[in-house]
Amino acid sequence: MKKPVAVGGERDLAHAPTLVTFQGVSKTYDGKVHVVKSLDLTIAKGEFLTLLGPSGSGKTTCLMMLAGFEVPTSGEIYLGDWALSKKPPHERGIGMVFQNYALFPHMTIAENIAFPLEVRGMNRASVKEKVTRALDMVRLPQVADRKPSQLSGGQQQRIALARALVFEPELVLMDEPLGALDKQLREHMQYEIRSLHMSLGLTMVYVTHDQTEALTMSDRIAVFAGGHIRQCADPRKLYEEPSDGLVATFVGESNRFDGAITGRDGDVVTVTTAAGTRLRAAAIDVGSEGSAAVIVRPENVRVGAAASGLDDTIAGRVADVVYHGDHLQVHIAAEGLDVVAKQSARDVVAPRPGDEIVFGFSTAHARAYDPARTDH
Amino acid sequence: MSQSTMPLTPLERLSGWALAGFAALTAIFLIAPILAILPLGFSDGEFLVYPIRHFSMKWMEAFFASEKWAVAVKNSFFIGALSAAIATVLGTMAAVGLARHDFFGKKLITGLVLSPLVVPIVIYAVGLYFFFAPLGLTQTYTGIVLAHAALGSPFVVVTVGASLAGFDHNLMRAAASLGAPPMLAFRRVMLPLVLPGVVTGALFAFAASFDEVVTVLFLAAPDQRTIPREMFSGLRESLSPIIAAASIVMMATAIVLLIAVELLKRRAERMRNEA
Amino acid sequence: MTDVTAAERDLVRAHARAERGRRWTAFFLVAPLFVFLIFTFLVPIGDMLRRSFMDGDVASVWPQTVAVTRAWDGSGEAPAALWPALAADIKASAASDTVAVAARRLNYAIDGGRTLVMKAARRLAKIETPPNGDWRAVFADLDETWVAPKTAAAIRRASGPVTDFYLLAALDLRKTDAGAIVTTPEKDRIYRTVLWRTFSVSGMVTLFALLIGYPYAYLMTRSSKRVAGVMTVFVLLPFWTSLLVRTAAWIVLLQEHGILNDLLMRIGLIDHPLRLIFNRVGVVVAMTHVLLPFMVLPLAAVMKGIRPETVRAARSLGATPMTAFRRIYFPQTLPGVAAGALLVFISAIGYYITPALVGGADDQMLSWFIAFFVNDTINWGLAAALGVVLLACTTVLSVVYAKIATGRRFA
Ligand SMILES: Nc1ncnc2c1ncn2[C@@H]1O[C@H](COP(=O)(O)OP(=O)(O)OP(=O)(O)O)[C@@H](O)[C@H]1O
Ligand SMILES: [Mg+2]
Repeated sequence: MKKPVAVGGERDLAHAPTLVTFQGVSKTYDGKVHVVKSLDLTIAKGEFLTLLGPSGSGKTTCLMMLAGFEVPTSGEIYLGDWALSKKPPHERGIGMVFQNYALFPHMTIAENIAFPLEVRGMNRASVKEKVTRALDMVRLPQVADRKPSQLSGGQQQRIALARALVFEPELVLMDEPLGALDKQLREHMQYEIRSLHMSLGLTMVYVTHDQTEALTMSDRIAVFAGGHIRQCADPRKLYEEPSDGLVATFVGESNRFDGAITGRDGDVVTVTTAAGTRLRAAAIDVGSEGSAAVIVRPENVRVGAAASGLDDTIAGRVADVVYHGDHLQVHIAAEGLDVVAKQSARDVVAPRPGDEIVFGFSTAHARAYDPARTDH
Repeated sequence: MSQSTMPLTPLERLSGWALAGFAALTAIFLIAPILAILPLGFSDGEFLVYPIRHFSMKWMEAFFASEKWAVAVKNSFFIGALSAAIATVLGTMAAVGLARHDFFGKKLITGLVLSPLVVPIVIYAVGLYFFFAPLGLTQTYTGIVLAHAALGSPFVVVTVGASLAGFDHNLMRAAASLGAPPMLAFRRVMLPLVLPGVVTGALFAFAASFDEVVTVLFLAAPDQRTIPREMFSGLRESLSPIIAAASIVMMATAIVLLIAVELLKRRAERMRNEA
Repeated sequence: MTDVTAAERDLVRAHARAERGRRWTAFFLVAPLFVFLIFTFLVPIGDMLRRSFMDGDVASVWPQTVAVTRAWDGSGEAPAALWPALAADIKASAASDTVAVAARRLNYAIDGGRTLVMKAARRLAKIETPPNGDWRAVFADLDETWVAPKTAAAIRRASGPVTDFYLLAALDLRKTDAGAIVTTPEKDRIYRTVLWRTFSVSGMVTLFALLIGYPYAYLMTRSSKRVAGVMTVFVLLPFWTSLLVRTAAWIVLLQEHGILNDLLMRIGLIDHPLRLIFNRVGVVVAMTHVLLPFMVLPLAAVMKGIRPETVRAARSLGATPMTAFRRIYFPQTLPGVAAGALLVFISAIGYYITPALVGGADDQMLSWFIAFFVNDTINWGLAAALGVVLLACTTVLSVVYAKIATGRRFA
């Protein structure tokens, strides 16, 4: 049994044995475009790995190759010590939850959940018992004799989960399993999946579009773009220290300032924007000349008095202030850009639209990237 | 009439009535001839004409007592069932294959597979007559069953294809991920869901054979009778009310088939809504 | 650099291999039906159509003659070697009772060819060796026609192995002795008339089915569920009823003392029975009835997909009901009209049973003539040639139909 851990993304998996290995995996559907390009990735036992990335970046394709519904055009995937290339999907023992749930419409809920047990030749009594337990696990014992069409979307989701887990697979794959649910139900299910993952000690590979979902649920997140993994790290590192511009802009909100590098001092570069403003930023993915994109998170933009202690500040005009309940978003028009700053809603003096204002950020919070590897 | 809530002009109202009247006449045109022949099966006259002076079971009894017609009825059902079975197995497999991936020559193969629907039956019958003769297949039931299976198979391909069009292939992937090997997944998941299409296709194939006379005329030996063949020669020669008696049997079969197909259609629709 | 391209080439090759595997699975599923249909459908039809240009009859029974005629270019006098060869062949074929095959074939090529050959067969049997060894003289003595230059030319043209004779004949064309293609004289023309009749009967049936079926389908799609259900049953019941039952029903209705004549006479509209059957009227009426469901069902399918808002929008924009129908509704139903009309027309041009039973001698269509030439006159070549014409029409129309049908699916 694993100890329950309070904060997601901070479990120590460094010493867990490896369960899945992608080794130089490439995939093309048409013989021309490479959807996945020589991918190397290892997934530890018990890990919750999320694949995140823009549409068409190859996430589903990776999942399908792991499940056996697509064959890697080259390279090999290992599950434990087995090479998977010769193993048909039904022998892999990998649980999968499909985006539209793929419940069998002609079978009752109980029959759906019993299906993987029956095809494994389990006897009736144990099947019945396991089905009951699975239904209890997802807290839907009363729906056993209904057809899938008689369930709500959230209930169907949970049944799909129960069906994928009932035969106790080590590895469970989920392709945007919560995409069709409304926000509240989704947050609830996120919690349930997360706690099932922990209590059952499962290894999960999870695909989502929703970066909040990725950040809150995962041990590690792999950011996909154009068939490559751009960064694979735990959520905190991914959010706070993105390794390239695309990851920085794709995960979380960000402000972007483009300019030319005009100086470098160790790990800090000076970037001059077209309007002539000089910004100092940590050099992450840039050299000592050429152009750069400076990325700053909205919560790190200091506005008005809070900016007074900074070396460099920029002047702008408040364009709009949007109330979000727990915080305010201040939109500032400066240098032809729309800069967003996040402020606590409890601040006594909220700026008002039309105010002239200065803002800035500390060098530690500004990160300079290669613009070519920042655009989506 | 249309459930339009718009106010109607008198002209519109008039044309609405005219349309309804016209449709009623069309309905009569469609159904009356079929109904008109049936009572003649209970006539006591010698010819297939009205008026019926006295009702009698004479011809019905003659029909069921006749050795000739008994053979014809038995043969029609036998040939129909056997050819429908062949057509259903081959047609279902082909429909599943055609619904999956593209492959070289798929369009051409689809065209060939469906062509028995449109090729004029006389051309086919004559072709078989020439082709089967040296193979010893003329004047055999085997020859007729093969011909009818070929004629029935496109119905199966079309109906199974239609039910596969609404089939979610993720279900097969789900079944595989849950551990079902391909054949088991087909039997437990795909087949139950496309079954209405398969059965409908089988019924169409049966009906096509049950009603087919041209290939039988060319291929069958004189004593290899079927109901349509006996009706054809009866209509050419004697025009006796026994034809009406045979029509009653054919109609009863048709109504059973019609009801079965409509029920299956409903079932498939229900399943689609559930999916 | 070369490394990358090599790796890429491997990738492409691996991909191609995976794709092939997939295709094979699909192909293996289709293969059983495909092979079955090749042997029970495609090959038999091909075998029949082949007879439209194969010409092996004469060659099969008169091998020596054919050897001579095939070596000859056909101009001028017939080669001297023809006569002994011909005599030997005629005698041999008469002895083995196969001379009729050649006689039948030559009858198409030479006026009175059958009599000519059969007479020669009888007479030559008695002649062992000709006087002076001159077989030509013997033939001249039998009948002057034998030694006319065009006779030898005709035998040559009938020597096979292929001929355009039947295909031309099926279109009322023939080749003159000089090799030019000309139209058969007016009085001998048959097949163009038959072809035209086939098209005109089918066209009429299609037109009537459309005129009757369109309003019916329209009403069917706009009625309440219950009425629509009943209307659908009225279409489906004939659809499932045996063609022979329906044809018999029309005989009952239309015959001289049938229900319709009876009714008309009783209400005093006519005073002696109308001739309604064993003529064109009977054929068109019965075929329209039989094929009407094939018009109504595709029409109704298309009409169901038309959203009534479009007509309402037209009305709200000021269109009269008539204009709204003509400009908005009708154009949207055109795919259904085309599909239904093609379906009915394609079926109609191949019809055999219904015209055979309710038509007269002048109402028989192409299919009837094909059956007739096979069964009664054993003119297989012509039957096959007519089959080619019929199948060509069907194929063209089917391809158009397929284009329309798939076009609709994508729209
Ligand atoms: N079966 C297929 N045949 C051909 N191309 C495909 C197929 N499936 C996916 N692709 C292509 O491969 C690329 C990657 O697709 P994939 O579904 O893996 O993306 P994804 O990251 O899951 O996107 P999304 O977030 O939209 O689901 C896309 O360009 C897509 O068009
Ligand atoms: Mg996807």
